[in-house]
Amino acid sequence: MSVPAILEVDNLQIHYRTREGVARAVDGASFSVPEGKIVGLVGESGCGKTTAVRAIMGVLAENGSRAGGRVVFQGKPIDAGNTRPLLWREIAYVPQSAMSSLDPVYTVGEQIVEVLTKRGGAARSAARARSAELFDLVGLSERRLADYPHQFSGGMRQRAAIAMALALEPSLLLADEPVTALDVIVQRQILDTLRELQQRLRLSMVMVTHDISVVAYLCDEIVVMYAGQVVESGPVREVLARPRHPYTMGLRNAFPDLVSDAMELVPIDGSPPDLRETLTGCRFAPRCPFVETACLSHALAPVTTGGHLSACRRDGEADALRAAALRPSTWLRP
Amino acid sequence: MKLVLERFAHNALALLAVTTILFFMFRLMPGTPLAAYISENLNADQQQQILEQFGLDKPMWRQYLIYLGNLAHGELGLSFFQRRPVLAILLEVLPNSLILTLTSLTIAYIFGVLAGAWLAWRRGSWVEGVAIPVVLATRAAPEFWIGMVLLAILSFKFGWFPSGGASSPGMVYAGEWQRMFSLDYLHHLALPVFTLALYLQGLPLLLMRSNMLEVMHEEFVTMARMKGLSEWRIVIRHAARNAMLPVVTAFALGIGLSMGGNVVIETVFSWPGIGRLLVQAVANLDYPLAQGAFLMIAAVLAVMNFVADLLYMTLDPRVTHGRRG
Amino acid sequence: MAAAADLGPAVRRLVTMPLRDPFAFAGITIYVVFALVAVFADQLAPLDPLEILFTKAGKLAANVPPGPEFLLGTTNLGRDIYGELIHGTRSALAVGLSAAVVVATVGTVVGLVAGYFGGTIDSVLMRIADMALSLPFLPFVIVLTGFLGASTSNIVFAVALLLWPNSARVIRSQVLTLRERAYVEAARVTGASHWRILFVHIAPNILPLSFVYAAIAIGWAIVTEASVSFLGFGDSTSVSWGYMLQDAFSSQALSRKQYAWFVPPGVCIILVVVAGFFISRGYEEVFMPRLRGR
Repeated sequence: MSVPAILEVDNLQIHYRTREGVARAVDGASFSVPEGKIVGLVGESGCGKTTAVRAIMGVLAENGSRAGGRVVFQGKPIDAGNTRPLLWREIAYVPQSAMSSLDPVYTVGEQIVEVLTKRGGAARSAARARSAELFDLVGLSERRLADYPHQFSGGMRQRAAIAMALALEPSLLLADEPVTALDVIVQRQILDTLRELQQRLRLSMVMVTHDISVVAYLCDEIVVMYAGQVVESGPVREVLARPRHPYTMGLRNAFPDLVSDAMELVPIDGSPPDLRETLTGCRFAPRCPFVETACLSHALAPVTTGGHLSACRRDGEADALRAAALRPSTWLRP
Repeated sequence: MKLVLERFAHNALALLAVTTILFFMFRLMPGTPLAAYISENLNADQQQQILEQFGLDKPMWRQYLIYLGNLAHGELGLSFFQRRPVLAILLEVLPNSLILTLTSLTIAYIFGVLAGAWLAWRRGSWVEGVAIPVVLATRAAPEFWIGMVLLAILSFKFGWFPSGGASSPGMVYAGEWQRMFSLDYLHHLALPVFTLALYLQGLPLLLMRSNMLEVMHEEFVTMARMKGLSEWRIVIRHAARNAMLPVVTAFALGIGLSMGGNVVIETVFSWPGIGRLLVQAVANLDYPLAQGAFLMIAAVLAVMNFVADLLYMTLDPRVTHGRRG
Repeated sequence: MAAAADLGPAVRRLVTMPLRDPFAFAGITIYVVFALVAVFADQLAPLDPLEILFTKAGKLAANVPPGPEFLLGTTNLGRDIYGELIHGTRSALAVGLSAAVVVATVGTVVGLVAGYFGGTIDSVLMRIADMALSLPFLPFVIVLTGFLGASTSNIVFAVALLLWPNSARVIRSQVLTLRERAYVEAARVTGASHWRILFVHIAPNILPLSFVYAAIAIGWAIVTEASVSFLGFGDSTSVSWGYMLQDAFSSQALSRKQYAWFVPPGVCIILVVVAGFFISRGYEEVFMPRLRGR
């Protein structure tokens, strides 16, 4: 990997204080984002993807805190104390639901102008011209700048959110399920727009999604998270063609588009563990069809082979497991 | 625009319903309908005049129509006791009530909004533990009792404020405006306003606090943080602006509601307003005056409900600007 | 069978809730204390509150300051203020509870019917509710009691007339969501009658809400009764806190600084009303978590 990393996350720990104890939402996750690449961060909901991304921006819920680990952006370690100057100017965000992320009482134009003037230091007139330009960039008519968020359709609203994210020409875009709420056709259009802009503007991007087909369509690298940890990562083509962690194999089976049509979709039985409990061994073990007794007590530190990282005790048997994983019967619980 | 007309129609209908209820209420009072309008101390001519004016010799539905017609012309009849047109009496005291209500509400809402936002910010601290029960107690206390306690302490014990009325005896003014802006008037106004404001501040305070707590968890506030906007800007321009919406509506509604509630405050402080007038009219069985005062209060309530609707529309674009996308 | 299953948890939570929420617990405690005072009023204050008292010297015991003999002193007519306060609890609770029962019953039935059947019935009922809400509250009560006669039942009637719309509206919207629940659908499919679905499957889930509005109505009714009495339109045959305040006010207790005369009744009113706030707050927290001020 000769491309330098714009963002490195190393052993990140995020804790939430809850009434029932501390939830370790992110528990030692490490990954990096090479410059100019799109990294897909995948996993089921509750795996800590969103928390990880918000932690990078230093914006956590009141009861959340960074309990450890390092985040390095463009070679400088960042934390809640020194992130603010970077926000939106260097690191911008595209939310899952632009509807709730836009202030309902101001027009979309006003909100873009706010960012341009308050954060970008632009004069109001320049900001207005720039927001028209931004709308044009994402394929919206500049007349819609005068509209309120609720007057947009779902797809247009996501485009407006992308325009807003690009306002200050950031170098890193964090997109949190930006197309999840949309129907498939609009999803594809927005993804195409994102990819085009990413290439044109030489953006680096983190794409958070639970949909592995979105990763396959858009991303260069993939990071698979499970229960607050990274279980597998590497180049998209390599990881999806030859997954080495059973969780990734399972995720791949659960989504269409990727494997042959003949293959039926098989969901992974069960749900991710309660992160408030003390977990030992491999966190996926209780749901893993290839589980062995030792998996329950010992987790394996990730092993990297040619840029492809995996954290499975049975990594050596990956080829055999992969073949077994393709059989739906493997995933059916007795 | 369609929405404005719709709300207008709604409130107008409600007012019509109130006047109708009132009409039948007064007609169905114990005794003959005549008794409600004619007192023994009127001579035969006056009685006849009233009979005709209100159509009391005609069937009920005709009477109802005549009543509505009279209302439309502002004809509310003559007060039994003051022997003057009801409307004139009402218009004389209405400014006093409006001034009392508006001043108190404005003070109460400014204080309530600021204190509510502040308490939302200090959530979970000891301030909250003390402030919330105190605020609840001010909401629970009868207004007139707060007035009595304040009167006993600030007026009778310390003598800082006059104990009632709107002006000192013997004061003469060149005109209404001079009277209302005189120091004497303001001095009389202070204690009733303070009492009413104390009673009224609880609603905007609690409303603002809970709205702020809710809005601060909204995604757009988190987004504002991610944009790196200043904390001040996030709290004022985004959170407070959204949390204010229901409070502003409550303000307009409050004008109408507290006009009715002022009845007791005006009585405690002998404030010559429409509420005290209503109480005296009912006590004296001065039916035309009581009916007129009641209608006036109901009308203010209806108008303010409409204003509240309009305010909500202007402040919340989601209501005015329909879906287009 | 299904009915029992629906009924069980809702009712159980209704009973166990106060133990979980400290505010609701405080509210219930205040209610219980006042209820006990009302029941044992004759034992706590053996003197007839309307009796005019004389000193041993045979003089009118007027304006006696608080002391061991008269805990809160006497009025200008020689009545025992402590006795009035204790006996006033009875009329306060009578007004409060009867208004609460009427408001909760009317509000619940109207809300259930409007929400469940919808259509014309719904719009008619809701229009009536709108109308009742556009009446100025206190002036209406004054006109009604002033002209119909100053009796406790007229006050209760007026309060109930004006308060039912709020509870009916909220209950209606709750019914609208309950109506779509799976178990109601199941009951409908198995051929249960409308009334059975309404009262066996839906009503038990509405009960907590009715309770909230009953608690609120108690406070409103007591304050309204006090206001009406204060304005001189109260029931003159019984001693209530409002009557005491009116008596104190018109007898110049304020200028004579007889704080013990007019402060305690006000404090009692505040306590009862605040108790209602606490209880409704507690129930809202437990039954409608989305309303919780996070």
